[in-house]
Amino acid sequence: VHVLQSIVEVLGARVGLDEIATNRLALAVDELYANIAKHGYHGKPGPVEFEAHIHRESGGIAQLHFEFRDHAPAIKDKEILNGRDINDVAPGGLGMHLICSVMDEVQHEALPDGNRWHLVANIKTEALYEHGH
Amino acid sequence: MGIEITEDHPAPDCVRLRISGDINIHTSPELRERLKPLLSDEYKEIRIALDDVRFIDSSGIATLVEGLQWSRSSGGRFVLSGLANTVRDVFVLAKLDTVFDIEDNAAA
Repeated sequence: VHVLQSIVEVLGARVGLDEIATNRLALAVDELYANIAKHGYHGKPGPVEFEAHIHRESGGIAQLHFEFRDHAPAIKDKEILNGRDINDVAPGGLGMHLICSVMDEVQHEALPDGNRWHLVANIKTEALYEHGH
Repeated sequence: MGIEITEDHPAPDCVRLRISGDINIHTSPELRERLKPLLSDEYKEIRIALDDVRFIDSSGIATLVEGLQWSRSSGGRFVLSGLANTVRDVFVLAKLDTVFDIEDNAAA
């Protein structure tokens, strides 16, 4: 988890995000990783591939892309991707809500041998460095 | 990286946990293990000092919600203090910043 957070912090710094904005992205990445570990692999060890990159758009807009690939059973029930009602004060089920509230795009693809998750955050910044990984 | 949790008693019926480190899926079970025994009739006030926490995720929030539920059922106070901006922001995202009893100062 700390490795993922460090990667997000580096990318956040490269596009000039402040501490709060960077932490929000780190939170989304942490939550998705935790969901895969808890619900995909049920707490047992399993491979998770992670990729992150900056895509520079015109007009001072950048996109941060985060992609997870797991080899857990494919998720068929799209309902679980919505999270629970945020107005219920209950101990669990917050993770997907937090991910969706932070990211501009949350995509899930069920594969024959796992799942692919794609998170995108649109960043408007003047301090954008050149395209990088 | 784990978390460090220390416990003291500012008053006879008050217990305080001071937490240091990130609270995430790996460390929240330890917090829950320390918090759970405190959720009894023995205390009227439980304080959680988060001054040295810079990151918390939904697993940490969920653990603290158990304290909130204890507060509602027992009538006791469950107080969070010393929240960093990043930690407070997660409570805002979860729409729990006005649900929890949150103090800003470090003198929890």
